[in-house]
Amino acid sequence: MSGLPPTTSVKRWFVTTNHKDIGILYTITALFFLLFGGVMALLIRLQLWDPTSQILSGLAYNEAVTAHGLIMVFWFLSPFAFGFANYFVPLQIGADDLAFPRLNALSYWLYLGSGLLLAVSFFQGGTLSAGWTIYAPLNVPMYTPSIGSTGAVLALAMFVTGTTASTVNFLTSIHHSRAEGMGIMDMPMFTWSMLATVWMMLFAFAALLAVGLILAADRVLGSVYFSATEGGSLLWGHLFWFFGHPEVYIVFFPALGVMLELFQTFSGRRLVGRKWVIISICLISVQSFLVWMHHMFLTTINLEIKTLMMATTIGISLPFDLVVFALIYTLIKGRIQFTTPFLFAFGALLLFILGGITGVFLGAIVLDYEFRGTYWVVAHFHYVMFGGATALFGGAYYWFPKITGKMYDEFLGKLHFVIFFIGFNAVYFSMFLGWETPRRVFEYNPEFQIYHQFGTIGAFVLGFSFFIMFYNFAKSYVSGDPAGDNPWDYSRTAEWAVSSPPPLENWPDRPSYASGKLEFVKDYVPDGGPAMKTDDNGDVATDGGDSHSAHISEYPYWDKPPSHASIWPFALSLALGVTLFGFSGFADAVTVELGETAMQSNVVVSNAMYPIAIVAGLVGLLYTGVKWGLEDFYAPPSEFAERWPFNGVEKVKLGMWFFLASDVIVFGAFLSAAIFVRYNAGWMTWSPLTESLPGLINTFVLITSSFTVILALVAARRKSRQGLLATLGTTILLGFTFMAIKLWEWNHEIFDRGVTISANAHGDPIQASIYYVTTGLHGIHVLLGLVIAIFLFVRAYQGHYLDDERPIEYFGLYWHFVDIVWVFIFPLFYLF
Amino acid sequence: MIDPVILQQGSDWRAQAEVFDEIFFVFLALGTLVGTIVVAYTLWNVYKYRDDGNRSDEEFDAPVVGELPTGQGGPKAKKLFLSFGLSAIVVISLVVYAYGLLLYVEQGPDTGAEGDIEIMVEGYQYGWAYEYPNGHTERGELIVPADQRVDLNITSRDVWHNFGSSDLRIKSDAIPGDYSETWFAVSSEDVEAQGGEATYRVECFELCGPGHSQMKGQITVLPQDEWEQWYNSTGNSSESASIQAPGAGLAAPSGVSA
Repeated sequence: MSGLPPTTSVKRWFVTTNHKDIGILYTITALFFLLFGGVMALLIRLQLWDPTSQILSGLAYNEAVTAHGLIMVFWFLSPFAFGFANYFVPLQIGADDLAFPRLNALSYWLYLGSGLLLAVSFFQGGTLSAGWTIYAPLNVPMYTPSIGSTGAVLALAMFVTGTTASTVNFLTSIHHSRAEGMGIMDMPMFTWSMLATVWMMLFAFAALLAVGLILAADRVLGSVYFSATEGGSLLWGHLFWFFGHPEVYIVFFPALGVMLELFQTFSGRRLVGRKWVIISICLISVQSFLVWMHHMFLTTINLEIKTLMMATTIGISLPFDLVVFALIYTLIKGRIQFTTPFLFAFGALLLFILGGITGVFLGAIVLDYEFRGTYWVVAHFHYVMFGGATALFGGAYYWFPKITGKMYDEFLGKLHFVIFFIGFNAVYFSMFLGWETPRRVFEYNPEFQIYHQFGTIGAFVLGFSFFIMFYNFAKSYVSGDPAGDNPWDYSRTAEWAVSSPPPLENWPDRPSYASGKLEFVKDYVPDGGPAMKTDDNGDVATDGGDSHSAHISEYPYWDKPPSHASIWPFALSLALGVTLFGFSGFADAVTVELGETAMQSNVVVSNAMYPIAIVAGLVGLLYTGVKWGLEDFYAPPSEFAERWPFNGVEKVKLGMWFFLASDVIVFGAFLSAAIFVRYNAGWMTWSPLTESLPGLINTFVLITSSFTVILALVAARRKSRQGLLATLGTTILLGFTFMAIKLWEWNHEIFDRGVTISANAHGDPIQASIYYVTTGLHGIHVLLGLVIAIFLFVRAYQGHYLDDERPIEYFGLYWHFVDIVWVFIFPLFYLF
Repeated sequence: MIDPVILQQGSDWRAQAEVFDEIFFVFLALGTLVGTIVVAYTLWNVYKYRDDGNRSDEEFDAPVVGELPTGQGGPKAKKLFLSFGLSAIVVISLVVYAYGLLLYVEQGPDTGAEGDIEIMVEGYQYGWAYEYPNGHTERGELIVPADQRVDLNITSRDVWHNFGSSDLRIKSDAIPGDYSETWFAVSSEDVEAQGGEATYRVECFELCGPGHSQMKGQITVLPQDEWEQWYNSTGNSSESASIQAPGAGLAAPSGVSA
């Protein structure tokens, strides 16, 4: 068990990398944030009680509104769903764990750390007060000057980092570790919904990461993206909503998946039109990236584009129609059991129907013009997002027996549902009635006071209902009836085939669907592996059918037990949290006074705490990163698995491809921002700030280093240690050459030409900001690559990588990617 | 494409509020109808197929743990597509209908000989400044004539605001560095009905800072002659001379702290 302490030990919960433990951690933490965001909601509702008297100042009210939105959307809804996904996706697909267990633990700790950073931001002069949509330019320090505002933005960036890690992990797991015989169309619907969710997350959250990093640059380093009148506000709108619309489905799909499971389990029927539901889910995932401008109908977007966006918006409602009807028809001719989980799932469907119909209203542009910025929108998205999440509470009741081994109290569960459902409609339906009230306004037209008071009462009822659930779960966990392996009559999915709770490595033997239904088969593992399939008599099956990929049989650690514990995910997250805490106060604590040259410049530190935190955090990051790399942590790949459409791609390589795909979107967003702003400023009015020669030299340097990294792989394959050291060493030298030229170039720009990140002696300041921030992001990538390269170099010197050259290959993928990005940056900033 | 001219034959024109009310009514009626049918049908079936313990085992093929899904299409795929088709027709026809009216709203009514009056609106933390064609600027209250189309050209001096009047059903984003447009017109009958001077509430519909809730204004509509009298008197005491670049003539508001 490689040192995993028992569940009663506190230490276990800091070191565990097991997907079920982490699922529990996610769920509990998310419920904590539900309370946190809920308190914010009740503050809002109290303020709305009377339009003439206030309990919060205008600023405090805006902070409550912002924190409520951010916490509920980011720190509650998705993580709550990911708690279930962590626990049940590996079980449903027949895997032992997620593909990268340590990365999974890292995702969780980054999530928790980011939430704590957000909580801390309340005490740094007040948290962000620009709304959860964080519109520009209200989001720049000129209008929201508190350190806590920066802290909240950085907390969001940290959250997204963890999310990206989680996305890569789930994509790799679902595409790489499905049990033999489970084709992609055979996956349970919850897993299907999660797959669609993580595919959307891969691209949507990358856009959010990009826009968050740009905003962080504006707030910490002083760039001027979002205060620029050359389209700065609209740039935020486009990038945010490019993320923001898919985010609606990212939040909703896991809940939809729970509904699809629970409707089947509690009616005893199989999903009607299963294939069409899956196709609809895939269509929605693609279409979700084509509708974002319907959030911006009242900006200056022209009629043609608005019409197009209206058409795509209507287009995306159609697959949803089909899914809703499929859900309804699944119930017909069933034997519907009104258990608590079903009530929540069914309630979610009713709420979602109402949310969907009111959404069609918003699709008509003329109506949207009037609904924009009103409580109609607020009511609509609560019905959709929180209405969907209603099913997640059903999921909590549904899986509670599996997770704890105990049955919840059915009466209390039903009571919770009734009070929840009444409270929900009281608070959100009253918003439709008083819809003319502008959002985030508390001195509203007194005509609507009756609706808002009704809503406030409903909100308290809704909030109270959760305490019934907490009590129910706590009581049942302590003294509930034993649930058995499968308390439900008509469940189908594999999590019900093992004990409650399931054992650490999930399965007695290897799960397989090769015969058309779940069976546990014993493989024959010869000394030195790999495993071989056996026939019914336990003899080694000699005839074909072996789905081993080449890399599985070449894997050198065959008989090694899998690892389940590592402290480094926690430590690394702590270090990143400290670093970002430091950066939140950087702009206030540190002033750079530029002199004639770099030597004559002064750095004035007014508050040493923040710079110290940055330095300590960075040192910690380097230390924990190296320890992570050195740790002997083994997560075996599934021996026999369905991998469509990625057959034959090794696990880590697949993960690397997914990560790079998301990084493509990050850079894509940065470059789009550069092009968008330049277009708005007048394309031809800008000419490159820099001379093209240093850029040209750097292009050659980087391309050469791409060749040397290929040579390094060749040398490793030939088991030539000297060749590996020479080629890796050359790559490192070329990387440093690139950075040195870059440094010279920046020095030249700043001190000889008067071009800094926030000022430009030769034109628009925003042009200088874009140049520094975009090339800076690329520079950070190069720097990170150099850190990894040096790590590899030292390890190669110690004799590693000659048997298993994969780390060299995957580093090469990253390095090529960074070089390719430069090929796009070079013409944009140096030539035209 | 539906020709918007049909909607405004002669000198008739329709206020945005009328267009909105019509579409809103149609959507609300159909939405309620469809919603009621779907929810009632669902509830009825859930009740009908509840597990009361006396259902026959015929035709019931209970699922088992560990089975793979079979029959991906399912027996009711036909019914599924029928309902899907129906809902698609409802949704698409609603939107096509609404789109025809959008073209009218975007274009605005013909102004005829009267001409229209174009006013610059600039949002700031926390209020609205207006600049008339003659260079006169007004703060807080927008004074316009009845029976005339008023074109608003809206921008912002600091952060993103949204200029809107729920009564008139007009709204537009006020974005720094950008200019958005909307129009409205109030008939003299409406002005008469409000006692010779019609007033409408203006609010900010985009979070713009701690004073967002207090960012209110008013549109005052006067009868043509009264308005002209007022407007002519403003020419002399105008604060700043002319409209050059849009919004350039607006002086900074006094007494407003950032």
